[in-house]
Amino acid sequence: MLKTIKPKNARTKRILKKREPKVEENVKTAIFIRGSTTSQVVNDALSDLCRLRRSNSINFTKKNNIHPFDDDTSLDFYCAKNDSSLFVIGSHSKKRPHNLVFGRMFDGQVLDMIEVGIEKAITMNEIKTPKCSMGMKPLFIFNGELFETSQVHKTFKNMMLDFYRGQTMESINVSGLEYVISITATGSITSSDSTVPSTFDGKIFFRVYTIQMTKSGQKVPRVELEDMGPNYEFKFRRTKFAKEEVYKIATKIPKTLKPKKVKNVGVNEIGDKVGRIHVGRQDLGKLQTRKMKGLKRMSEDNDRTEDWSRKKRKA
Amino acid sequence: MDVSAQLEAQKSKYKSINVEKQVPLQFDLGLLAGFDVNALEENKLKVETDNYLKSYTRDGTQLLINEIFRLPLTSVQDVGVVAELPKIVTAIPREKPLPKPKPPTRWERFAKLKGIKKNKKSRLIYDERRGEWVPRWGYKGTNDDGANEWLNEARHRRNIEEVEIDASQQLNSAQPQLKSKVNAKVLKKTELRRQITMAKTSTASLGKFDKPVKGEPSNTKGAKRKFESNLGDIQKEKEARLSILNKIIDKKGEILNVRKAIAKNNQQN
Repeated sequence: MLKTIKPKNARTKRILKKREPKVEENVKTAIFIRGSTTSQVVNDALSDLCRLRRSNSINFTKKNNIHPFDDDTSLDFYCAKNDSSLFVIGSHSKKRPHNLVFGRMFDGQVLDMIEVGIEKAITMNEIKTPKCSMGMKPLFIFNGELFETSQVHKTFKNMMLDFYRGQTMESINVSGLEYVISITATGSITSSDSTVPSTFDGKIFFRVYTIQMTKSGQKVPRVELEDMGPNYEFKFRRTKFAKEEVYKIATKIPKTLKPKKVKNVGVNEIGDKVGRIHVGRQDLGKLQTRKMKGLKRMSEDNDRTEDWSRKKRKA
Repeated sequence: MDVSAQLEAQKSKYKSINVEKQVPLQFDLGLLAGFDVNALEENKLKVETDNYLKSYTRDGTQLLINEIFRLPLTSVQDVGVVAELPKIVTAIPREKPLPKPKPPTRWERFAKLKGIKKNKKSRLIYDERRGEWVPRWGYKGTNDDGANEWLNEARHRRNIEEVEIDASQQLNSAQPQLKSKVNAKVLKKTELRRQITMAKTSTASLGKFDKPVKGEPSNTKGAKRKFESNLGDIQKEKEARLSILNKIIDKKGEILNVRKAIAKNNQQN
């Protein structure tokens, strides 16, 4: 277990400050670890996935005896040491050939993990096309209704978004939209329990393309894609989902970041902005209205009325 | 004039940006993501996987780009067209829990009690003389004490003449009131010579390789003390010591020449 370090100089103090929990978090760091035995496919996959993430990702080159589904401690240690919350562990065995485990951490503990097997793989180097400049934010396209219905797919979608989204930005330069990651899910769930993928015959197609924007005669350009790689065909194996309560805490938005509700202002059906004013209780008898002499309460003098009518005729 | 034909020709030159989909896509523009729930053609996937996936993704990406161009766009200098992204819709878990509010420090509690507020001084300050906002300190700031001005009022200084008189008086008062034959000129000369020697040897090589000035005495060093060897002749040593003693005691009671001592003391002070 890591011992808490007391900062002895300003440099370590700054590093510790960077690592402590904040309201708006830093970009997540990812570590790519090799298991006790790996294959060439797995090694290439790890390095390619690491490249896609250019900054904030550490590729371990040595092999480690790590079994994520059995033992959490070594994984917790690596993540704590490198201040990372995303990990990919690659391994190869007869039972599980070309295996990748994608996972996330929350608060120093494993939040969720998904194990995939690589059926087909084509590395970035094999596809001889120009690559985009790294460090750009990618576009995402998720195809297939399984990403809305199946829990495995939903978790995988969330994980992929988390892995490759890059820095959270308020605005983006349109010319910086250089590549798109497309994940397609096929197949159907044969078992009634959607969380059990063992009877699942579907595949996941992982593709990355560079975007070329061409003239279209209008303001919005025409999009053409060019293969960039890496290309994978995944199949789900084991999974470990997050506990409900933990996930709830992890996705909690702090009050400061929540969009502020404006009270008493709304939009009516036509589309006009309408505001509501709360007026207190009013005693209609004592209201101050416009003074009209004619409506004043007259005394029981009939002469007055005659004068009045004469006055009126004159005016 | 009917330009519709020409417009059609123009449009047909370019490929369409419209995409037909059975179910419209869902978007999360904060993450630049698009979610397509339409069914894929299974046989096409099996037979020509890559091409089908490419064209299918191209359609989805086109829709996503269309959606991005519907966001408020601004033209920023040197950068290009920038689109303002909305907030992220999908709930992505954090990596660390929310920070707990720290208890106020001892100073913070005191300040709150007394109502002390921090007044941050701004970097720029309005300089009325120059008539513009200048930095309070630093380069081209108002803090430079008039060092760069061509004309400054003499604020803290007295008259030049007074200053000169002062200086000469100080010099005179620093020197001793000499009654003896030693005069000020000679003292100043020795003092100066001493200072010159000090300055000469205060270089990195202790003045060894300096070019000698014409007329300057080269050997300014004093004589080095010579000591007798520790393992010398005992007899000689004994004689030397006894002669000193005899010199002192032989004077028949007058060990100290008082007159000479006073004169020497006065000279030294």
